[in-house]
Amino acid sequence: MLEIQDLSKSYGKYLAVDKVNFFIPDGQVGVLLGPNGAGKSTIIKCIAGLLRYTGRIGIQAIDAKTLEAKRLFAYVPEIPSMFEALTVREHIEYIRRAYNSNVTDEEIEAMLSRFDLDDKQDKLGNELSKGMMQKVSICCALAVKPKVILLDEPMVGLDPKAIKELKEVVKELRDQGVTVLISTHMLEMVENLWDVMFVMEKSHIIGSYNKAEAGEKDLDDLFFEMTGSWETDGDS
Amino acid sequence: MKALLYLTRRKFINNFKRAVKKPASLLLIIFCAAYGIFLVVMLAKLAGQVHFDSPKGLVVILTIWSLYIFLSNFASYASRKGIIFKPSDTHMVFPAPISPKLILLHSAWMNYLLSVVIGIVFAIAGLTVFGVAPWRVMLLFLIEIVLELSMEISVMLLLYTNDRIPRNVITWISRGIKVFLIGITIFIILYFKKYGITLDTASAFIDWPGLLMIPIVGWNIAAYRLVLLGADTVNIICTVLYLLTVAVTFLAAWRTKTDGGYYEDAAKFADDYAEMRKRKLDGEMVTGIGEKRKKFRKVSESFKASGAKAIFYRQLLEYKKERFFIFSKMTLLCLGMSLILAKSMEAGARKSGVPQLFFMGIILYIALIFSGYLGKWENELKNPYLYLIPDKPIKKLWYATLMEHIKSFVDGCVFCIPIGIGWRLDMLQIILAILTYTVLQANRLYTRVVAQCILGDTLGKTGQNLVRSLIQMMILGIGAAVSAIAGFMINMDLVFPIILIYSMIVTVATGLLASIRFHTMEQL
Repeated sequence: MLEIQDLSKSYGKYLAVDKVNFFIPDGQVGVLLGPNGAGKSTIIKCIAGLLRYTGRIGIQAIDAKTLEAKRLFAYVPEIPSMFEALTVREHIEYIRRAYNSNVTDEEIEAMLSRFDLDDKQDKLGNELSKGMMQKVSICCALAVKPKVILLDEPMVGLDPKAIKELKEVVKELRDQGVTVLISTHMLEMVENLWDVMFVMEKSHIIGSYNKAEAGEKDLDDLFFEMTGSWETDGDS
Repeated sequence: MKALLYLTRRKFINNFKRAVKKPASLLLIIFCAAYGIFLVVMLAKLAGQVHFDSPKGLVVILTIWSLYIFLSNFASYASRKGIIFKPSDTHMVFPAPISPKLILLHSAWMNYLLSVVIGIVFAIAGLTVFGVAPWRVMLLFLIEIVLELSMEISVMLLLYTNDRIPRNVITWISRGIKVFLIGITIFIILYFKKYGITLDTASAFIDWPGLLMIPIVGWNIAAYRLVLLGADTVNIICTVLYLLTVAVTFLAAWRTKTDGGYYEDAAKFADDYAEMRKRKLDGEMVTGIGEKRKKFRKVSESFKASGAKAIFYRQLLEYKKERFFIFSKMTLLCLGMSLILAKSMEAGARKSGVPQLFFMGIILYIALIFSGYLGKWENELKNPYLYLIPDKPIKKLWYATLMEHIKSFVDGCVFCIPIGIGWRLDMLQIILAILTYTVLQANRLYTRVVAQCILGDTLGKTGQNLVRSLIQMMILGIGAAVSAIAGFMINMDLVFPIILIYSMIVTVATGLLASIRFHTMEQL
């Protein structure tokens, strides 16, 4: 489970996230939606422990800042950054050691093969295209065998097959009881994945729905119902 | 820790493999190492020549070195810029279940390596050049490696990880340290300004007991003096104070707790550092990490132009939005250099009777060495729209670089007028010098494009600049030689007209060659 309580974050005088609260139980997929500059990336970075914040973030009821919580948590950032001098396989090996993960060689092989990286295992980080980096980033996150996984715009740069695989992976994770949070602009990409949705605008969560409440309405309708229109404030 | 060690080991092995595969990088590393050794040997010889080859000489060097290191380390750690983080750390290391303190300790390995290397160099120099007894060298090495490194690591940890102290307090502490450091620097400058920089004043400065009483750095120097020159009351007291400070700081750093608050600053630094590296690789002159985002002025004018001419007007609009229009750091640099040269070389140039030749030499030299200065034109080549504009490549080249020529002309005026007036050259010579400067800068620019065409991305920007300099040296060398001969044989007033006409011909030819680059983007 992932719980956010009274989360606030300011950059100087600019309040990027203002007392945000939400909760995603085990085995559910949450989607965080909102226009540019709404504060989604800031929330994601706070959860990943990359920013100072006030409030509380809990991963499986453990304070997100602790090493114990970090062991249960995986993160796929919007812009992947690889170690220039590490091969694809070495990235995963590093993750295995850092998280003390029990992921097996066979599981790694299967994962790499699934994302068409099996023949690129020996490629160095600085030899990868953006799409390939994104795939490696996803494989690294999966190698953690997390209880909570956070995906920030995960489909950007991926080819259609990888998008299809990623959607499958998200469903499999959900079935395994993993909590998934996806932040995205691409509503159609998460249309059939979500269990609970949160819409952000101007540093606040302006509304949320779960699948049962939504009924027959699709994500687009729900989103525009809440926001009125897709206005952008510019990136924070 | 095992993950971080794995990371370092694999990075080292893969980088080594890569270096072996690319002999150019390996040769560069070997060349740099050989050059470093050559410099150290030369400095050792110099120390002997100026009678610095005694333990006292080593104390002088260590004192200055300690002050420098103290200043730079504290300033960089205080502003949380002392450790190099990369975006890959933000992605892969910070969110991992690894102690933030451990990450910090591990990331600073380059800093430790530098300290150890410097310690070894001082130890070898102590034994071979400064005639210090081996047991004293051993103690000196221990002070450098154990005490100084412990102090540095402790201070680094305290400044980076202490999240309990509110941010504004940390900011004020950082400012306090900076003020303290600036104070020390001003004191040193004033001291040497008053007493002059000689071996005697340097010795007198380091013998001054007040220096040893400066907290931390002074006490550190006292420890060196105790080891190298023997005991006296001040030495002993200050060394004890240093030992206590190291112990207390180490303990405080050991006990300090962090949940990774510094990741925010480290992630920002990583982005700024990556941006700086990218700009450097692109050949830009970068003066700092994390330069503030540019603010642009509002411009209400509108321009209308078609074809390649639109490139020029777009650049003009962009420059109008800049705070200082076309004036840049280069303009300031030109002015500074010009004023210094006008004053410092005036007597020599006039005494020689051929100030025109001196002047031409300087202008040629500047055209050759300034490689890190880019205007907006270079970015044009990265924009696909440039290749889509329905116009001739030569026109595109001309309009993409026209603004640079105007800028060069302005910089040329700023550079040539003070020197011309200072050296009492006549107005015509000054005007010709300005035009020569402008044409030579254009030549530099076009030769660079030609170098890009020849080399592609094989040797990187440094390689391109090297080839550009070589081509320019060969071509302009001929012109310089011809104009100098004509000056000596016929009339000195012919120096500038000849070099100007020659460079114009060469530049037009180079420009025509360079226009190939504007055909398609593929060559990039």
